[in-house]
Amino acid sequence: MPEKRIVLRNCGVLDPKDISTYLEKDGFKAWQKARTELSPEQLIAEIKASGLRGRGGAGFPCGLKWELTSKAPGDEKYVVCNADEGEVGTFKDRYILENDPFTLIEGLAIAGYAIGARKGYIYLRAEYHYLLDLLTGAINQARDRGLLEQFDIEIRQGAGAYICGEESALMDSIEGKRGEARYKPPFPPSRGLWQRPTVINNVETLMNIPQIILNGCNWFSQMGTERSKGTKVFSVSGDVQRPAVYELVMGSPLRELVEGLARAKAGRFIQIGGATGRIVPYEMIDTPMDFEHILGAGSIIVFDQSRDIVDIVRRTMEFLAEESCGKCTPCRQGTRVMVGILDKFAHGQGEERDIRSLEELSSAMMLSSLCGLGQAAPIPVVDSLQRFRSDYEARIRKN
Amino acid sequence: MNSTAGDISAEAKKRGKLLVLLEQAQDKLGCLPKEFMARLAASLGLSISEVYGLATFYSFLSPGPSGRNVIRVCKSLPCYLKDLLIESVKREIGVGPGETTSDGRFSFELTNCIGACDQAPAMMVNHDVYGGLTPEELPRILERYK
Amino acid sequence: MKEFSATINGSPVTARDGMTILEVARENGIDIPTLCYSPELTLTGACRICVVEVEGSRTLVGSCHTPIAPGMVIQTHSPRVLDARRVTMELLLASHPEVCIVCDKANMCDLRKIAADLDVGLPRFRLPKHYFPMEDVSPYITRDMSKCIQCWKCVKACSEIAKKNVYGIAYRGFKSKVVVDFDDQPMDKEVCRDCGICIPFCPTGALCKPSPVRQAKTARPLVITGTAQQ
Repeated sequence: MPEKRIVLRNCGVLDPKDISTYLEKDGFKAWQKARTELSPEQLIAEIKASGLRGRGGAGFPCGLKWELTSKAPGDEKYVVCNADEGEVGTFKDRYILENDPFTLIEGLAIAGYAIGARKGYIYLRAEYHYLLDLLTGAINQARDRGLLEQFDIEIRQGAGAYICGEESALMDSIEGKRGEARYKPPFPPSRGLWQRPTVINNVETLMNIPQIILNGCNWFSQMGTERSKGTKVFSVSGDVQRPAVYELVMGSPLRELVEGLARAKAGRFIQIGGATGRIVPYEMIDTPMDFEHILGAGSIIVFDQSRDIVDIVRRTMEFLAEESCGKCTPCRQGTRVMVGILDKFAHGQGEERDIRSLEELSSAMMLSSLCGLGQAAPIPVVDSLQRFRSDYEARIRKN
Repeated sequence: MNSTAGDISAEAKKRGKLLVLLEQAQDKLGCLPKEFMARLAASLGLSISEVYGLATFYSFLSPGPSGRNVIRVCKSLPCYLKDLLIESVKREIGVGPGETTSDGRFSFELTNCIGACDQAPAMMVNHDVYGGLTPEELPRILERYK
Repeated sequence: MKEFSATINGSPVTARDGMTILEVARENGIDIPTLCYSPELTLTGACRICVVEVEGSRTLVGSCHTPIAPGMVIQTHSPRVLDARRVTMELLLASHPEVCIVCDKANMCDLRKIAADLDVGLPRFRLPKHYFPMEDVSPYITRDMSKCIQCWKCVKACSEIAKKNVYGIAYRGFKSKVVVDFDDQPMDKEVCRDCGICIPFCPTGALCKPSPVRQAKTARPLVITGTAQQ
C-alpha cells in the first residue's frame, strides 16, 4: 500500500513563498466554489457527509463542530487553527506549514465562510517561530490577491507551553492569559474565544477542506474505514531508518508505516499518539491505524530491543509533569507523584505497593482531571503496566 | 444569559495584547526586566502579579536575566533516544543546563519536544532550529551567535 | 424558569434551568464536598473534590460547574466517586505540611474536615512538601503559602469582591503559586490594605488574621506533675 498524498499533495511541489504556484494547482478554486455555488448550510452539509473528523487527536466530527458553531446565536464568531503542535514525536503540521501554507489559509477561509466568522486566528507554537515570516507572507499574498475578502487572519504565537494545544487553554492564551484548561461545558462552539462561538481545527483537518469541496464528499468518504474517512498524516521517528512524515489512507496497518515506509527493524514497542498516547508491543504491528483502533494525532515513535520501557515511561511522565498547567489537583499533583514512583523503579528501588499506587492513581486521574491532558496522562503507565508488567516487577527492590 | 451579546469588552481586548507584548519584549530585550513588567502592567491597567503570572507560565519567556543567546536542547523522546547533545554543548560553552556563561553570551536550557523529531537530535538557538546534529558541528553553529 | 426532573442517588429531584448539579444536590440536602467553589465567586473547577458520576459520561464530572440536564442520573457518593475523591484528597495532603496541631485554622479547616469525612488519614502518595516562609509582616493578614492548596478563592475574592487584584497565579504545574507582585517580598500593608475579604474564603490555614498579641496569663500556670523515668 503506497502513500496516498491528499493533504500533502502540494508539499515539495509548489513554492511556499509564491502563491502563483499554488493558484496554478487549483489554489483557491474550492474557496471560490464554496462562495459562489454553496450556501454555508450546503457547505457544512458537504463536510458532514464527507465524514471528516478532527486530526488533532480527539477525532470530533468536523462538520458537526462547524454546524454547532454556525447555529450558535451571535454575530461575532471565530475560527482558530490549532498550530500548537506540541505532542511529543509530532512534526507533521510543521512539515505542512513549511511546504504548503496556502492550502491551510484556503481551508481556514472556507471554515470562516461556513460558520460566519470574519476573523480567523492561527495559533503557532513558539518553537515554530521560524515559520512566522513564511506564513505571514502567504497570508499577505492571499490578501493582496483579494482572496481573503471579509475575512481577516491573525497569527498568534505561543510562548512555550504544551498545554496550549488543548483547545480551551489555547483560547485563554489568545486572550492573553495563562494557558490553563477551562471546565466544560460550555464547549467552544457555544462559548469559545472571548466567550463567542468558535471553531478550533487542527492544521491537518483544515488542509482536507479544499479537496473535499472540489472533489465532493463521496470522493473523500470512499477512502478509509467506516468511521475514519480519508487519509492520515503520520510523523514517524525513533529507532527507524527513515524518520519522516508519511500520509496513508485511514485503516492502513501500522506495519506499512513503520516497516514499509520508515524502514524499522523489529522493535520492542511503539508509542502512538505522543506523551498521552498508547504504548503497544511491537507484536501489534498489524493494527490498523484509524479512529476505531489507535490514532491520536499520528505520532509514531518506534523503540528497538535495547530500549528500557520503564525509563521511557518515566521520561514521558516527567514531560507531562513539566507541562501540566497546574490548575487541577489530579494532574498537578498526580503527574508529580508518578514521576517519583517511576524514578524509584528506574533505579531498581520499586516496591510492590507502588504498582498498586500507580494503578489507583491512574484511575482517579483519568476520571477526575479537568482536561484531556490530565485525563490521558496516565495512559503510558496503564499501557506499560498491562503489557510490560514484568519490566516493573524486575525492578522491585529485593531485601 | 446571552453570552454573545455586545462587543468584546475593551478590557478584554486590551488584556488580549498582554502575551503578544511580552513576546515582543522578550525578543527585543532577551528577557523581561521587572521595571518593564511593572510599566506594562500599569499601562494595561493590570496588576503586576498578573503580568508576572504570565511571564512565569510560558517557558519561552524569561522573567529573570538571561544570556544574549539561548540554546535549547530538546530532551523529548525521539531526541532522548539519540545522543542528547547535553554533554557536547556543556563542553563547548562551559556551563550546564539552567546556567548562563559568565560573559552573558549563552544561556543553556533543556526543552520539551520542538517538533524536529525527524532530525533528532535537535536543538534551538534563539529561534533557529538545528537538527541531525553531531558534536563536531556545534562549534561552527555556535560561532554565529555573538 | 423551566423546571425539570433528574435523579440523584436514586431519588427524583426537581431542577431549574441554569442550575448546576451541586446546587440541586445541596437544595436537596445532599452534601458534596467542595474546596475551590464558593457561591459568591465565579467558578474555577480546579480542586476536583466535588466530582460526581453521571450516567453515560466517560469520566466523572465536576458538580460545581456542570449544568444539570433533564433526566440526568447522578451518583454523588458511589464507591467510584469516593475512591476518586480520596485520591484527590491524598494528593493534596501529600504536599501539605503536617502541622495541623499548631495551625490557627485547626478544626475550622475545610481540608481537614473533608479529609476526615472521606476517612483519609496519612496519604499513600509522596510529594515534596511546599515550603515558603511565613508572611506575617502585615497587621491585617498572615499568609503561609506552604499550606495553600491552589483553590484560587483568595485570588477571585480579591478581584471580584474587593476589586483589588492583589493576587495573581504564577509559575506552572506543581510549582504554581498564588503570588503578590513579583513574588519577591512578603505581603505587607503597602500592597494590601485592611479589607480582609479573602481571609474567610481560604479553606486551609494559608490565610489567617494575625493572632492578637498574647496577653499575660492571669490564671495559675498549668503544672503537669509526674515521675520522670530514670
